[in-house]
Amino acid sequence: MIRLPAVTLLTVLLMPALVVPALAQPSNPAGPAPGNPAGLAPGTRESAPGVPASRQTNVPDRTFTREAAIGGAAEVDLAWLATQKASSRPVQEFAQQMIQDHGGANDRLSALAQADGIRLPAGLDAEHAAMRRQLEQANGTEFDRAYIQGQIIDHQKAAQLLEYEIGSGENAELKNFASDILPVVLRHLRMAQAVAAGLYGAAETSPRPQEQQKQ
Amino acid sequence: MGRRSPPHLHGGCSVLPRAPNSEAVVSKKLTIFLPLAGAAVLAAAALADSLPPDATYRPLPTLPLDVVKANDEAQKPQVMERQRAVLEQRYDLSDHPIPNVMMSGGRKPVQGGVRVKLPAGVSWDSLSSMTPDEIRERGLLPAGFMPLPHVKQATGGQVFPNNQIDEINRQEGRNIRRFDVDFDLPDRFTPEFPPPIFLTSHPELGDVSHGQLLTIKNYYQLMVGILTPVQMEGLRLLLTPFPQEEFNQTEDRKSADQSLGVTCLDCHANFHTNAAFHQTPDVRPQAARFRLDTVSLRGLFNQQIHGSKRSLRSVEDFTQFEQRTAYFNGDHVSAQRKGVNLPDRFDQVPMMAQMQNVIDFPPAPKLDPSGRLDPSKATQQELAGERVFLGKGRCAACHVPQTSFMDNNMHDLKLERFYDIGQTVNALVMLPDGPIKTFTLRGIKDSPPYMHDGRLPTLADTVEFFNLVLGLKLTQDEKDSLVAYMLTL
Ligand code: HEC
Ligand code: HEC
Repeated sequence: MIRLPAVTLLTVLLMPALVVPALAQPSNPAGPAPGNPAGLAPGTRESAPGVPASRQTNVPDRTFTREAAIGGAAEVDLAWLATQKASSRPVQEFAQQMIQDHGGANDRLSALAQADGIRLPAGLDAEHAAMRRQLEQANGTEFDRAYIQGQIIDHQKAAQLLEYEIGSGENAELKNFASDILPVVLRHLRMAQAVAAGLYGAAETSPRPQEQQKQ
Repeated sequence: MGRRSPPHLHGGCSVLPRAPNSEAVVSKKLTIFLPLAGAAVLAAAALADSLPPDATYRPLPTLPLDVVKANDEAQKPQVMERQRAVLEQRYDLSDHPIPNVMMSGGRKPVQGGVRVKLPAGVSWDSLSSMTPDEIRERGLLPAGFMPLPHVKQATGGQVFPNNQIDEINRQEGRNIRRFDVDFDLPDRFTPEFPPPIFLTSHPELGDVSHGQLLTIKNYYQLMVGILTPVQMEGLRLLLTPFPQEEFNQTEDRKSADQSLGVTCLDCHANFHTNAAFHQTPDVRPQAARFRLDTVSLRGLFNQQIHGSKRSLRSVEDFTQFEQRTAYFNGDHVSAQRKGVNLPDRFDQVPMMAQMQNVIDFPPAPKLDPSGRLDPSKATQQELAGERVFLGKGRCAACHVPQTSFMDNNMHDLKLERFYDIGQTVNALVMLPDGPIKTFTLRGIKDSPPYMHDGRLPTLADTVEFFNLVLGLKLTQDEKDSLVAYMLTL
């Protein structure tokens, strides 16, 4: 199970439709499927032939964990910014949802990273720091659009990264984490796309004078 | 584009309006707004930090072959057991042939009945009366309708059925058995083996296979006097093994011995299919690559787009690329190292193509020249099936009788309306199929399993599938008649 904060859990319970199929029945009943033994690093400790001992990590596991932690932390950081600056309600609500969902996922990931001895970077990476600076300077609709567009790109990348871990990782806990989170990330992506469509659609039917000028 | 109601995020995305064109709209508008919003900079920055390279490129093996082989062999029982459990959960694979219905060679019975299992508490009728949203929200889409995983998704690659492996070994002494996985479906849900061969150039002869599997060892004796010199040379090339991702001479292989490779007709047995499967070369990363069931090459002469996703525009293009894409998973980088074969476009490819282009569908004695049933030959049930096919079932919108039951188009059936995407099943991530080419229905009883990944074991399953996907609400009689009709094609 993904450890989600209480609010989200409530949402989940109220809306079984959404997340329950992905969360209630663990997607990998017998643990994650075996990887390609050709990809095992020499010297990997094994619990059975070709099966990495528990808590082993390979390069994809570590790459994934690092990237996912960076992305997850930025997700929450930018979402906090959005709760302060977003002018439209759907963007506000989206940001709230990100704080809740990614907060829980981030906790689970850092616990796994700690157990697996993977050091995670602190603070925002250069890419997201640049994004934050841009967002800090933007206001109103401009902010909403920039934020949500960034969210679409981040969730696209997150989805591909999770799929990468599911296929290339060897650490069972990390792979299960990725399997559990992927449906949620894809759902967020659809939400972000719908919010963006709403923002641009609304602008199209009733452009604000300022934007009209800019166009 | 009209105004969209604001999404209720806390209510979750199930209540989000589906905005089919939203992406197009967003990108169109983005080009206008990005520079203003400073988002152009964002996008550029976002791209700077890229995904891992081995999410696209195949990594080199890190262990010696003997270690990999020992590991793979040790894992094999669990690997096969996992897949068996997936199949068991999805399908009833017991032996229930349709009485008196054989595949075109007359040797293998056609399996009948709906084999996809229903979730508890619903019937096919109750399911088809629900909306896609309701089915998705309640998690009721039968698992057998969802994408079918490869036996070993993380490794992937070509997997041949045992009858092919044994016959190639017997005739050529060539090994196409893998040490890490076996074929997963029961033999009764694969095509007749070896399948009959029908030639457009010799309809009067009927099946010219002599009941044998065409190989490099016997093709000359079987076909000389029947084919032209150009076709003979094409055939020779189609039967010549070339190195492949899993069958080659390097340590990155899954055959015990240094393998000579694989031939085109190792999968397209006798130009039909033996249900050998593979993964799409067209998708990355690995976990998202869906399974591909080998298609028949019968009637290729009438097909204008090739490949379920690639939509290549000529048999020549496909032939030339097949040795890079099917053979090497769409990875020309990996191919270079293992000894790729690049057939000459002007001298060799056309001969291979022309050979494939004389392969006919099996005869359908009940069809008239326009692809319609001859009422003097068809039964009442078959005629009723044709009426459903053309009318209420809307099948003929895409499977046009007059053009070999195809439309030379790709269609997005949007199955993801019915389930939550992103779930992992035996290491395959379930994602929308997107547009897939309409397959011909000529000779369809000869080519189980059905759909691009072989997810449906019987024709009755395909009827339930389309009944749901197209929202047809067919009666049981109509469904049965559709199956009876498809058996005549
Ligand atoms: C591993 C088994 C396998 C081998 C070997 C193989 N194919 Fe295929 N072939 C397939 C599959 C699977 C498809 C469907 C591809 C898709 O849907 O994208 C296909 C599709 C095709 C098609 C397109 C049919 C259509 O109209 O959609 C042609 C033509 C073809 N193969 C020719 C060849 C040739 C020529 C070779 C040898 C160079 C070859 N195949 C080797 C499995 C194989
Ligand atoms: C919108 C176009 C469309 C309509 C309408 C349609 N089909 Fe199809 N059909 C397809 C496509 C596309 C595929 C391939 C789908 C895939 O592999 O994922 C297909 C595949 C099939 C197959 C499997 C073919 C194979 O070789 O595996 C059968 C059987 C079939 N359709 C029967 C029907 C019947 C019966 C109906 C009417 C009840 C119908 N189709 C209506 C587009 C259509």
